[in-house]
Amino acid sequence: MARGTVAKCLEFIAERFPIEKADFHSMVTKKTVPVHGMSWAYYVGGLTLFFFLVQVATGLLLLFYYQPTVSDAYASVEYITRQVPGGALVRNMHAWSSSCMILCLLVHFVTTMGMKAFGRPRELTWISGVLLLLITFGFGFTGYLLPWHQIAVNATKVGLQSIELVGAYLPGELSRLPTIIRETIQGEPSVGQSTLSRFYAIHVIVLPLTVFAVLGLHLLSVQLHGMSPGVNGQVRRSEKFLPFFIIKDLGVWGIAFLVLFTVALCVPFESFFSFALFAPYDALGSTPEGIKPEWYFFFVYYPLELLPFWAVAAAQTAGIGLVFAAPWIFRESSRKTMTALASAVACYLVAITLFGSVIYTFFKGGR
Amino acid sequence: MPSWSRCVYRVPLLAASVSLASYASVAGAYPDFQRHIQAESGRVVSCAMCHVHPDGPDGVKHGQIGSLGDAELQALNHSRAMLEPGPAVDSPILNDFGDYLVSSLGRKRLMAWKSNPAKLISALNRVHDQDGDGIPDTRELRDGTDPTDPRHGDPWLLFLVNIRRYWFHLAMLSAATLLGLHSLNRLFRWFAFEAQRAVNAKGKARRAEGP
Repeated sequence: MARGTVAKCLEFIAERFPIEKADFHSMVTKKTVPVHGMSWAYYVGGLTLFFFLVQVATGLLLLFYYQPTVSDAYASVEYITRQVPGGALVRNMHAWSSSCMILCLLVHFVTTMGMKAFGRPRELTWISGVLLLLITFGFGFTGYLLPWHQIAVNATKVGLQSIELVGAYLPGELSRLPTIIRETIQGEPSVGQSTLSRFYAIHVIVLPLTVFAVLGLHLLSVQLHGMSPGVNGQVRRSEKFLPFFIIKDLGVWGIAFLVLFTVALCVPFESFFSFALFAPYDALGSTPEGIKPEWYFFFVYYPLELLPFWAVAAAQTAGIGLVFAAPWIFRESSRKTMTALASAVACYLVAITLFGSVIYTFFKGGR
Repeated sequence: MPSWSRCVYRVPLLAASVSLASYASVAGAYPDFQRHIQAESGRVVSCAMCHVHPDGPDGVKHGQIGSLGDAELQALNHSRAMLEPGPAVDSPILNDFGDYLVSSLGRKRLMAWKSNPAKLISALNRVHDQDGDGIPDTRELRDGTDPTDPRHGDPWLLFLVNIRRYWFHLAMLSAATLLGLHSLNRLFRWFAFEAQRAVNAKGKARRAEGP
């Protein structure tokens, strides 16, 4: 019985990672990419990788000067921005590319879902992709605290408090679990030096190492199986991965680099926010108005502001479960159904991100 | 232990600072301007637009009246005496923009305009740019952005100003990127050709060996 299960597991893994194809000829020279109306979606994953590489490069440069202490974090960020040659540009590239990375990741997620690219044998490619999405949100959450200004600390406080709220809906001893998780992440009763040290360690060591591992698995899987056809029926045209797809992909990277560099040089990321939010954090001072998480958390933030906590927490848990199990739940669903579902998800994300504030004012008034 | 003469000197100074602190809470802070700018721009504005401390001049933290030493209190008195426009001011509770407002407009007018804060923007020099970001102070006040921080301003205006400022750098970068992409294009085509040739040669050799 146990032997049968192990054999089935090995068979499952062997089908998802066919090692016999793991040679240069199969993975590169022989590989082709389908050409159709949705071909643009094949470049979004690569673009996400590009922005991640920018994050790594600029993040390493920021590490040379950043001081992860409550007393010096803000001053070191100011020093990078005002005194270090090119520091403002590097910091701005880091901020812009983080948002671009998450935007591309969300587009990649929605298009992959719409193209039903998670069908057999690409289930593990999908799951590793979802893990990468969650890790990227983790990057965003932990990185937000590091400059130690008003919005950074106050938004982190709100985020950590929401973990604890889950406890009220769990039975018995389990109800203490969210508090334990929050205290473990926070490291002390309030957001302080321990929290900053932990977030820093998670942001620059734990998450990057995890990303390299999961991303390696994701890319290996993509190269072994090739791109999913993505459309119904027979794909009539295809192009060689080497050199044509790679050249086009690099062209997209080049344009993305030019746009990112231009925007980072000309538009400071902070100019979109109130300057009061970027004052150094003062535990005894007043909290400025307008504390909000980054735009990519609006899809959770606004529902939490508008609906009962239990409803949002339940929907979120169900949503995460549904996304992880999508390859099995939607195994029999047609591409048309998946396209409709992905369009609905995209509409929700766009509407809540762009008009979340308007929706909030409409229902709650003020602000 | 301080000597009696120093104590005698310090008592009136302490009394002066306490009276200044209480006076400042009435006349030192200008929340009317803050409220007006916030309502006009739609952005949250703090006292840091003109003051050293984001919470304003009242208190004992850096840049607040309660934290000032003897010399700083004298400087504060000097700046408070600037009722009419005049020479440069260096107030310990104001930032560079706050000092500029006092020296260019005078405290008398600033206090009079509390009931009509819109006058402040129309009275300011239209081309003066405190932080040198290319956006005049009058526009920064209207937009509710920080007039002392070159990184803060209306994003679109900053984009236009900086594009004009860095056009040569960006043109050079574009040329370098295009040349780099062209070179990579040739490199990958050559690599693909050679890889295919190697595969063909291997296949040919295998066929020549026979079954």
